[in-house]
Amino acid sequence: MNAIEVSGLIKRYGRVEALGGADLSVGRGEVFGLVGPNGAGKTTLIKGLVGALRPSDGEARVMGLNPLKDRAELRQKIGYMPQGPALYEDLTARGNVGFFGAAHRTPDLRKKVDEVMNFTELSGRANDPVHTFSGGMKRRVSLACALVHRPEVIFLDEPTAAVDPQLRSRFWRTFRELAREGTTLFISTHLMDEAMLCDRIAILRKGRIIADDTPRAILEMGKTHLVVRRDGAEEEETIGGHPEDLAAALRPYGLQPGVTAIDVETDTLEAVVLSLIEKEEVA
Amino acid sequence: MRRTFIVAGRVVRQLLRNPRFLVLSVAAPLVIVYLLKIFFDTLPPTFDVARYAVPVAAFLVHFLAFLLCAIALVQERTAGTMERMFINGFRRTEIIAGYVLGFLGLATFQAVAGLTEAIWLFELDYDEETLATLFVVVWLLAIASVMLGIFISTFARHEGQVFPFVPLIILPSVFLSGLLVDVDELPTWADWLGHAFPLFWANNVIQDVIESGWTFEEVQGSLAILIGYSIVLLLLASLTLREVE
Repeated sequence: MNAIEVSGLIKRYGRVEALGGADLSVGRGEVFGLVGPNGAGKTTLIKGLVGALRPSDGEARVMGLNPLKDRAELRQKIGYMPQGPALYEDLTARGNVGFFGAAHRTPDLRKKVDEVMNFTELSGRANDPVHTFSGGMKRRVSLACALVHRPEVIFLDEPTAAVDPQLRSRFWRTFRELAREGTTLFISTHLMDEAMLCDRIAILRKGRIIADDTPRAILEMGKTHLVVRRDGAEEEETIGGHPEDLAAALRPYGLQPGVTAIDVETDTLEAVVLSLIEKEEVA
Repeated sequence: MRRTFIVAGRVVRQLLRNPRFLVLSVAAPLVIVYLLKIFFDTLPPTFDVARYAVPVAAFLVHFLAFLLCAIALVQERTAGTMERMFINGFRRTEIIAGYVLGFLGLATFQAVAGLTEAIWLFELDYDEETLATLFVVVWLLAIASVMLGIFISTFARHEGQVFPFVPLIILPSVFLSGLLVDVDELPTWADWLGHAFPLFWANNVIQDVIESGWTFEEVQGSLAILIGYSIVLLLLASLTLREVE
């Protein structure tokens, strides 16, 4: 059984369609990235999966459970880190984590709070009120709140937006550690370097999934721009993004002494995603 | 039930850690009652201070308990903590009951402080039974105000949207609940409309008990309606507080 199954999920707000029939599945222990521009429907999809939103149509299952009908059971199995901090500023970091942990009837709560504070490297500031924290530290407290009850699936809505590269790298070490222990991570992001770190990504555009594969495979959907300088002249060629396309394109040149330079420029993931989105818009 | 106490404990901890909030909710009514005393001192000695002093103190408790509770709950929504509470497994009834319990302490303190100051400053001389009834009615009014705050908060998306309910619900009650003039002197429709405000029933009890020779039978109806008011608002709030978008 997959950790997450989504089939034809639609959410309309009046005449606005936030989700237009999304389909996807996420395996257990997978780090899955939901990529898309602002307003693509990433948060709406996550809210549909955690039971905070009633879909207009379609079906979603998380750990085999319906997010609305089985929400009491499901909420013991999932963790959720929203886009904003969603913390009590007047309470301490420990107070916040303990409060949300208590909602899950977590056994040995005090011990688990200590462990998650260590895990997120917050122990030194555990008893300080959250309003004294930087934005990055608040994100760590928010992550600790989502992890304290040891969920099987964690939904993270743009977890590293507006955090510095050092903290982002620390977050990703944490995510990888969780995935190694078998936790499924569902991460929404609009940062392409972050998407490259996922096991698999889906590209969401206007509430529809337009591509769903490994970051590597998506990258190979792009183009490679080749410039070969031979006998003082430049020959330009645009080929496919697959490594085999590059080998095929270079084969005719062999090791001719006249070839003095080869410049290979491959599309970035951002360029591939943008071109996929543009193709959809044209279609 | 356990999670209700967890929410209540968190609400109390938050209130205690927010000095500005505490000062506003407790000191502000005390200062206003003092200003009322200065104002009443300028009026002729024949002016019936007792007729207005306790009802005005009750109104201040009513207004602040409503406003502070509504704003605190709306802040939960705007900060995203309300959604997070639901996703973490807290139920609607647990959140509402937790808020009621959490604010009960504040409402009790407001009722005791406001009433004690009014009685002391205006040198009102009541027997123990009257004092106890006055405290109970102001306390019940404070609870109804907390419920009203919870109910109204479900219609506001941000703190600013709470304020239009002040001229809509709180200010009319000043004129229509018998606080300033006897409701018998109002047009019939206004008299009836006044019955919709919890302050009307609280003022009914206050006006009865500050007259000498009152009996419990005379006020029990209004006290029961005040309690019923809280229960109905609690039920309405638990119906309108949205768990799912």
